[in-house]
Amino acid sequence: MTRRVAVTGIGIVAPGGVGVPAFWDLLASGRTATRGITFFDPSGLRSRIAAECDFDPAAHGLATEEIERADRYIQFALVAGDEAVRNSGLDLGREDPWRIGVSLGTAVGGTTRLEHDYVLVSEAGRRWDVDHRQAQPQLHRAFSPSTLASAVAERFGAQGPVQTVSTGCTSGLDAVGYAFHTVQEGRADICIAGASDSPISPITMACFDAIKATSPNNDDPEHASRPFDNRRDGFVMGEGGAVLVLEEEEHAKARGAHIYCRLDGYATFGNAYHMTGLTSEGLEMARAIETALNHARLDPTAIDYVNAHGSGTRQNDRHETAAVKKALGQHAYSTPMSSIKSMVGHSLGAIGAIEVVACVLALAHQVVPPTANYETPDPECDLDYVPRVARERSLGGVLSVGSGFGGFQSAVILTRQRGRT
Amino acid sequence: MSITVDELSELMKKAAGVTVSPADLQDRADSGFDVLGVDSLGLLGIVGELENRHGVPMPVDAERCKTPRQFLDLVNSAMPAGA
Amino acid sequence: MMSEPRSRRAAVTGIGVVAPNGTSTETFWKSVQEGRNVLDKVTRDGCEHLPMKVAGEVRDFDPAAAVEERLIVQTDRFTHFAMAAADLALEDARLGRADTEGSPFDVGVVTAAGSGGGEFGQRELQQLWGKGSRFVGPYQSIAWFYAASTGQISIRRGFKGPCSVVAADEAGGLDALAHAARAVRRGTDVIVAGSTEAPIAPYSVVCQLGYEELSREPDPARAYRPFTEQACGFVPAEGGAMLVVEDTGSARARGLPVRATLDGHASTFTGASRWAESRAGLAQAIRGALAEAGCAPEEVDVVFADALGVPEADRAEALAITDALGAHGRRVPVTAPKTGIGRGYCAAPVLDTAAAVLAMEHGLIPPTPGVFDICHDLDLVTGRARAAQPRTALVLSRGLMGSNSALVLRHGAAG
Repeated sequence: MTRRVAVTGIGIVAPGGVGVPAFWDLLASGRTATRGITFFDPSGLRSRIAAECDFDPAAHGLATEEIERADRYIQFALVAGDEAVRNSGLDLGREDPWRIGVSLGTAVGGTTRLEHDYVLVSEAGRRWDVDHRQAQPQLHRAFSPSTLASAVAERFGAQGPVQTVSTGCTSGLDAVGYAFHTVQEGRADICIAGASDSPISPITMACFDAIKATSPNNDDPEHASRPFDNRRDGFVMGEGGAVLVLEEEEHAKARGAHIYCRLDGYATFGNAYHMTGLTSEGLEMARAIETALNHARLDPTAIDYVNAHGSGTRQNDRHETAAVKKALGQHAYSTPMSSIKSMVGHSLGAIGAIEVVACVLALAHQVVPPTANYETPDPECDLDYVPRVARERSLGGVLSVGSGFGGFQSAVILTRQRGRT
Repeated sequence: MSITVDELSELMKKAAGVTVSPADLQDRADSGFDVLGVDSLGLLGIVGELENRHGVPMPVDAERCKTPRQFLDLVNSAMPAGA
Repeated sequence: MMSEPRSRRAAVTGIGVVAPNGTSTETFWKSVQEGRNVLDKVTRDGCEHLPMKVAGEVRDFDPAAAVEERLIVQTDRFTHFAMAAADLALEDARLGRADTEGSPFDVGVVTAAGSGGGEFGQRELQQLWGKGSRFVGPYQSIAWFYAASTGQISIRRGFKGPCSVVAADEAGGLDALAHAARAVRRGTDVIVAGSTEAPIAPYSVVCQLGYEELSREPDPARAYRPFTEQACGFVPAEGGAMLVVEDTGSARARGLPVRATLDGHASTFTGASRWAESRAGLAQAIRGALAEAGCAPEEVDVVFADALGVPEADRAEALAITDALGAHGRRVPVTAPKTGIGRGYCAAPVLDTAAAVLAMEHGLIPPTPGVFDICHDLDLVTGRARAAQPRTALVLSRGLMGSNSALVLRHGAAG
C-alpha cells in the first residue's frame, strides 16, 4: 500500500513579517517587502536593494546561547520550525525519535559568517596566509551547511534521516521533495522539511552583481521585483526560512491532526545546458512537471494554480512560461500562475520552501496570491500572471516550480483533500 | 588608447580560461565567442576586467556582443581618447 | 516507461578515484592494499603556519590533464576533482558520450559536499575586501557553492536525469550513494554519484581548527591512529571518488559485469560531537541498512569503519558494531584504510565504498595503515592485507554534525 504524505504544520520567517499570519497577510494584500539594503553599506554595488527580514531572534524564543551559536539562516529555521511543529499539534516527545527525519535546504549556508570572520583573519583582504587567531569560536559551524539540519534536528529531537540539501535555488523544493520521498518510502513517519538562507551579504550581493542577475532599480526598491513584466531588470535578493511538517497520512489521521493538504508529487531534472543560463524551450522543467504529475497520478487539468519560479529575469520568465505551456498544454492558458518573489524577493535556497508554504496557504484559503508590480505584458509571456491583486479561486491541485544554478529544474505538487478517503 | 586584439586575447585567458593567441584571434575575429569557448559569464568577466583596468564603464551592450570584432569595435568606439 | 521500482536493483559499474594515495583506481587500490600511509606535512601555499600540520594532500593530480582549461579557471579544486573522477568512473563503466547522448534523462548526478569551493571563495573574498566589489569575478556565483560539482558534471557530460546535492558532514557521502541507489530503483538507469572535497586552503583550514576532533599532532606517522590508546583526532584530506551507480538490468543489457550491488542503507542522527550517543545511532543505522538489504548480521564479511580517532568515538563505534552484529561483531574483520589517506569529509566513505568493491573483487581485505595495538574488542585488520573472500561489505560513516550512516554492499556475483 502506497504511503501518502500529508502537510500538518507550517512555519515561516519571511520579509514583511515573521510567522504565517503576517506572511499570508502580505501575499494576500499584494504588498511588497523589498527595500534599500540596511544590513551593511551597499554603496559601490550595482544592486543595493533587497527584501530583508525584520527579525529579532530573542523575541521569537531563542535563548542567548542559541543566538550566539546559530548563524542567522539557522535562526530562521529554528523559529520557523518552532511555529511549524506547534502548528502541527505534534508532541514530538511522544514520537519514536528514530522515525522523525529532517530535510532542509540552503544554497549559500553559513557564508555570511564565513565572510565576517574572513575579514577578521585576513586583515580585510590583505593577506592570503590568514591569521587563525582572529577567528571567532563558532566559525567551524559555518564551514559546512550540514549545521542547518543538525541544529534543527537537535532542537526537535529528531534521530531519523537528517539531511541538508544544497542545489542552489532549487534547494527548498528539493529539500521538500527529499522529505516527501523519505516519508513516502517509509524511512520516517514525520519529516521536518524546509529551507533557509540569509544571503544579503557583501560577497553574495557582489557575486550576483558580477553576473548582472540582480535588479539595479535602486531608486524604486518597492517596485523593483517585476516578474513577467516587460520592464523587469533582474531579481531582488531576499532572505528567510520556511518549515513544513510532513507526516505519513495515516499517522496524522490516527492522532486526529489537521491536514492542510497532501504532497503528491515531486521530480527534478538537470538541463545540462549552462550553470546560469536557461533555454527558451524549458523542456527539462516541463519534464519535471510531467513526471511529478505522473507520480501523483494526476492529469494536467488537476492543476488549478502554478506558483512560478518567476525570478524577474527575462530568460527565466520566458523559459518557465514555455515549460508550463508544454507540460499543461492548453490548460496552461486558463491556469493562474504567479510569482511571490515580486513581494518577498528571491531568497536563493530558501525561496522554494517559502513558495511551498505559500501554496499550502493558497489551498487553505482558496486564494491565489498575485504577482505584484506586474503592469506591462511581455509579448513572449502570455499566461495569466495574476496582476497585483489576489484572486479567490477553487483550488484542488497546485504546482510549484523552480530553477537553480547548475541547471536544476524541480517541481512539487500539492493537493487538497476534497472528501477523499 | 584602445583595446587591442592582444589585450582581448590576454583577457580571454585570464577571465574565461580560454586560450586563443592574438594572431589566431585576429583571424577568427568573426567567430562567435561561444565557438571560441567564451560563455556569457566569461564575457561579463572580460568587460568587468576592462572597466577596472581602464577606470571607465564599458557600453552596456558590450556583454551582448557575439564576436571579437563586434566587441572591439564597440568598446573602442566608446573609449575616451587618452583613457 | 518506468518499470516497477521493486524489481530494480542498484549496482556499481564504474569507479573513479582521485585521492591522496592515487589518482586512478588502480594506483589507489595498490596503495590501499599495501597499506601505505601517505599522510604528510601540509604544504599548500598559505597554510604552513597554521596549527593543522598534517593532511592527505592530492599531489599528483594535474587538473590541466584532466579537464578543459576554461573549466579550471571557472571552478574550484573540489570540482576539478569531481569532473576528473566522474570521467574515470564513466570510462570504467564504458559509458562514453555516444552511449548517453541519446537518452540524457536516463543519467543523473548526485554529489555530497561538505564545504564547497573554499579556495576559490577565499580568492574572491580577497578581491572584494582587498580591492572592491567590482573586482569579484562572474564565476564566483557558480564555483563556491555546494552544487557546483553536480551542475558541472551534468552540463559537461550532457546528463539531464535527477540531479542532487547533499550538503553534509562525512556521513553524507554514503547518503549520496543511497540517493543514487533510490533514484535507480525509482526508474533512472544511471546515476553518477559520490563526493570530492578540497578543504586544504588557508581560510578553509582556519574554519576546521574549531573542530575539537581535529588532530593537531605534527608527526604524520602519529597524527591519525583510531582505535588505539594514542588516538588524538582525525587528519583531513582532499580528493575523493565518483561511482557509476546503475540498474542491474541496464548493466546486463550493456554486457557489463555487476561489480557490486548497493542493497541497504540507513542513516540516523544523534547530535553534533555527542560521540557516546553515536553508539546507539550507528547501531540503529546498521540494523536499518541490514534490514533493507535483507541481510543477516552473520553475513557481513567485512566492515569499513568510520574510525574517527577520538577515543570516545572509537569506543562508541566498536560497541555499535557488536550491538548491531552481536557476537559476530567481534569476529568480523574491520578495516579503516583512511588512516593512510586522511579523512576527506564526505569523500571519505565514498573512497571506503570504492575500496569495499575492490576488496570483494580482489578477495583481499586491506589493512589499517599505521595502526597497531588496538584497545577495543575488534578484529581490526592491521599490518598487511588479509586474504579472504568477502561477499558482503558494511561501510560505516559518522559526521561531525551528528549523522550516522551505514551502507550494505554485496559482491556482484553474490546477488
